[in-house]
Amino acid sequence: MSVKLGKLSRSVSIIGVGCTPFTDIMTHPKTKGLTEGELFGWAALEAMNDAGVEAKDVDMYFHGQGSPQQFSDYITPNAQVANWFGMRGKAAVHHSEACCTGYLALDLAVNAVASGKHNIVLSGTIEITGSAAAPGKPAHMRRPISFLDIMAGMPTLYDRAYTRQLEAGLSNAIDDVAADYCRQYGLTDDQMDDVLNALAINHRRSSARNPLALHQKEYKETAKEAGFDDPMKYLKSDSFNPRMGEYLRASGFEARCDGAGAVIVCPTEMAKQFKQQPIEVLGIGTALLEGSQPHLEKRATAEAIRQVYELTGVKPAEIDLLMANDFFITSGLLAAELSGYIPAGEGWKYILDGRTSYDGDKPINSNGGRTAFGHAFAASGLADCYEAVKQMRRQCGDHQVRKLPETVMLRGFGGGQNLTAGIIRTVQ
Amino acid sequence: MKIGEPVVKRWYEALDEGKMLGLKCGRCGAVEFPPVYCCNKCSSTDMEWTEVSGKAKMLDFVLPSPLFARPENASLGFYCYGSIELEEGSYFSAIVIGVSKKNKQSIVARLPVPVKAEILQRDGFKTIAFRVVE
Repeated sequence: MSVKLGKLSRSVSIIGVGCTPFTDIMTHPKTKGLTEGELFGWAALEAMNDAGVEAKDVDMYFHGQGSPQQFSDYITPNAQVANWFGMRGKAAVHHSEACCTGYLALDLAVNAVASGKHNIVLSGTIEITGSAAAPGKPAHMRRPISFLDIMAGMPTLYDRAYTRQLEAGLSNAIDDVAADYCRQYGLTDDQMDDVLNALAINHRRSSARNPLALHQKEYKETAKEAGFDDPMKYLKSDSFNPRMGEYLRASGFEARCDGAGAVIVCPTEMAKQFKQQPIEVLGIGTALLEGSQPHLEKRATAEAIRQVYELTGVKPAEIDLLMANDFFITSGLLAAELSGYIPAGEGWKYILDGRTSYDGDKPINSNGGRTAFGHAFAASGLADCYEAVKQMRRQCGDHQVRKLPETVMLRGFGGGQNLTAGIIRTVQ
Repeated sequence: MKIGEPVVKRWYEALDEGKMLGLKCGRCGAVEFPPVYCCNKCSSTDMEWTEVSGKAKMLDFVLPSPLFARPENASLGFYCYGSIELEEGSYFSAIVIGVSKKNKQSIVARLPVPVKAEILQRDGFKTIAFRVVE
C-alpha cells in the first residue's frame, strides 16, 4: 500500500545539532560515570549552543529511547531527564522505535514545527546499551550486561501472536540483503565476503578519523598487531573475524555502545537569524513492515525512498552523501542502490574500489556507521543527522568528504521494522 | 469473523486440532495467514474463516545464523528461513525444513520450490513450519 506525502505547511530547517561520544560509559574516560540525564543534557545543550539559542527559546522537546525499561528502569524517560537542560515545565513527548528512533526523531520535530504549533523544537535521543540500571541504586551505579543479555531481548522487537512463533523476524534478517544480492547479481559467497570486509575496512578508516567514534583504530593496524600484512586477510580469518551468519562476520555487525544525539529545528524563514548555515528538511518518507514480512528492509526502504523523491522532486544524481543505519553492514549497499545513489548491481564494485569511503566520490556513512562509529540504538539516527549536518558545513575535520555535500539522504532502519528516507539540503 | 473475536486463540486451538486457518477477504478474496482482523490488500473487514491447504512455494531463503540458533530447533535437522507464498496467496517468512549448506546451491537453482506446511509441537503450544517437497 503506497502513500502520497503532502507538502509541509511551512518549510523547516535544522539550526543546531549535538552528539556525545559513542563509547561505553562504564569504562571510557570521556564519558565514564555519566547518566541518562547527563548524556541527553550534553547532546541537547550542545545543539542549543550550536544553534545559538538557549533553553528558554525552545518550545518543547521530543525524547527518544529504544529500551528505557530494559536499560534505564524508566517508563517515562522524557520526564526523568527533564531537569538537565533548562526546559523544566515545557512539553515533552517520548517515542520509541528501537534503532529507527533517531531518524523518526527528526520527522517528529519537523512535523511539530511545520504544523505551526511550535517554532523552535528540540529532538533528542539516547541509549545506554552496555549496562543496565542497578535496581534501587542512584543512576550512576549500573550493572554490566552482556551481548547475550542483549540478544535475549531481541525477540521483544517482534509480535508475540505469530511472528516469534513462526521464527520470522531477526533470525532471517541478518543475512537477507547479502543473500538476496548474491542471487540477484550472481556474486559468489566469496565475492560477497570480500565486499562486506571491504565495507568494514572503509568504515574503520572513517571512524579512526572521527573523535566521537567508538572505534579509533583502522583495520590495517589491528591486522598488523595480529600478524597480518593485509587487513583483508585478517578479516577473512574465521578465527579473528568469526561468522555471525552465512555472510555477515563480526566486523559486519553493530558495535554496541552508549550515547546521545540532538537536533533543533525551526521554520526556515526564521532560521537565518541563528548562528549556523540552515539545513532545510525537504521531506521524509516513512514505511513499516513488521518482522514476518520477507525482505522487509528492501521493500520498505524502496517505499520510503519513492515517497521522498515524489514529494521533493529531488533526483538521485543530486544526492551528495548517503547515511544509512547499518547495524547489518549490508544496509549501505542496499540503500545506495535503491536510492539510485549508485547504479543497481554496481554497488559492490564501488565498495571494493573504495569509492564509498569518506574520501571516495560516493561516500556512504562518513562517520563510520554502526559497525565502526558505534550503535547506541535509539541515539544512532541523530548521530547520523549530526554527521550529515557537520559534513554540509565542512566541519568534519579529518573525515570531511571531498566534495562539500549540499544534499544528503538519511535512511533510517529499525524497530521491528521502520524505514525512513529523509532528504536534507543546505539553504542557499 | 467478528471484530472482537479472539482470532489468535482460535488459530492456535485449530492447530491443536490439526487444522491451519486463515481469514479470507469477502471483498477481494485475499487470504490473511496467519489471520488478522482486516485485509491488508483492500482494507475490508469482511473476513471469513477458511482452512488453508498448507501447499506453498518457497521463493527464496537464508540459512540460519549461529547467533540466533534456538535449542528447540535442534530436533528439526537442517532448516532455513524461507519466503513463503501460500497456494491461497499469503506471503510471509517461516522455517523450512530440509535445506542445508550442502544442498543450498541445488535448491537455489530450482527456486521457487514447492513446500508443505506441517504442525510443530513447541513448549505448550503448536506452530507451523514448512518442509521442502521432493
